[in-house]
Amino acid sequence: MEVELTEDRGRLAERLQGITGENVMLCYQCKKCTLGCPSAYAMKMKPHELMRALQLGLEDPVLWSGTMWICLSCETCNTRCPQDINILKLIDGLRTYYLNRDYYNPVRELPMMHRLFLKLVRRFGRIYELGLVFILNLKMVDPLKDTDMAMPMFLRGKLKFFPHRSEGAKELRKVMSRLEAMEEER
Amino acid sequence: MRYAYFPGCSLSSSASDYDLSLKAVCRALDIELVEVRDWVCCGASSAHATSHLLSVAMPVLSLSHAEEDGFDRLIAPCLACQLRLKAANKEMQEDPEVREKIHRAFDYQYRATVRVYHPLEVMMEEGMMEVIRSRVRKKLSGLKVACYYGCVLTRPPKIAQFDICEDPQSMDSIIRALGGEPLDWSYKTECCGVSMTLTRSDIVLKLSNDILREAKEVGAHAIAVCCPLCQANLDARQIQIEDRYRVQYGIPIIYFTQLMGLAFGAFSKELGLEKLITSPRDALEICGLM
Repeated sequence: MEVELTEDRGRLAERLQGITGENVMLCYQCKKCTLGCPSAYAMKMKPHELMRALQLGLEDPVLWSGTMWICLSCETCNTRCPQDINILKLIDGLRTYYLNRDYYNPVRELPMMHRLFLKLVRRFGRIYELGLVFILNLKMVDPLKDTDMAMPMFLRGKLKFFPHRSEGAKELRKVMSRLEAMEEER
Repeated sequence: MRYAYFPGCSLSSSASDYDLSLKAVCRALDIELVEVRDWVCCGASSAHATSHLLSVAMPVLSLSHAEEDGFDRLIAPCLACQLRLKAANKEMQEDPEVREKIHRAFDYQYRATVRVYHPLEVMMEEGMMEVIRSRVRKKLSGLKVACYYGCVLTRPPKIAQFDICEDPQSMDSIIRALGGEPLDWSYKTECCGVSMTLTRSDIVLKLSNDILREAKEVGAHAIAVCCPLCQANLDARQIQIEDRYRVQYGIPIIYFTQLMGLAFGAFSKELGLEKLITSPRDALEICGLM
């Protein structure tokens, strides 16, 4: 792939450094991240390719690859990077920056899951497993997904029908609102 | 020793067996657990993918309750929870900008004095191994166990600061103390893929299959785990995995606390063993525990 280097190519890397404090330019493509990555096989753009694309400011290919959502957050790449780059932090930076932006995302179900997860936690203070699975399956138009797994769990009392509520939920809602107000200020 | 106890969402529902067995083991070891007042979800992988501040704030809420109530040690048995809690502590201690913002969002000003422990870390405290050995009533003789530590117990080492990062030994040494035989294998810290369990099950099935296959190949009778999320993936999904990859594993995925409880002479009901989906009966018959 041919890339024309213009001045604004560096903006993506700068913006990410602003959000995460991590410098993508330190990467020299040793590929340790990709070799240790458990989900690299499912990524169109592998972790080391993501690093190169970020260095070159290739925003669209980065977004369209879906790599940032296929990352499992298992921390292997961070642990092994010889340049001590916190790759997961960079990926989280991408996720938070693009979470509410409109772009073509091949794995839309991931940000959808995160939003729903936090919505439920905001309401109950804890995660309501059955509710999360049920709503998510409906949203993914696969209502019977994993029923073969859920039934034995249900029969053993491992899945609760009703949500657990925490008395801390009220405080959590207050804190979340304050944080949102602070983030809007910026 | 008295600890604040942060069970996390899983242990209060899908992993009630881990909760039961951990409490039984702690009773036997004279460790007092006091549940954190009005704790809330740690945010897991969703908070840090949404907002960095939120990923610190959610653990801080529960940690601050523990601090306010006078605790300086806290046990979090889920790997995801313990990492989020430890990471939040580190941010609060080291990043003044984050600390200032978090303090603005809370009424109580958390000082990050509550140290977070995974139960395995507590077992590795000085002198604990002798206590564990002294409590063993029935040895796990002949039981070959593959200890599976999961992704984030020892990673990232800067936050975890526990055990050998790429080849942890703590659970192995506990199994040995119980009279069992821990196996040497190479999938101890490979990720099972749980953060995508609801969305991209295809990835989870592949990763979990790799772990089960390797355990079977080295001759494990059981896999010992220390995280409710790994357990759910390897146990509840085992039927799906066998179906998809046309294999037969039937390997029970047992919490290390359940194995400890069994060796200490607790009844299987006290340890929630009947809640395991892949039956541990055959494995436990080997060492005469069933």
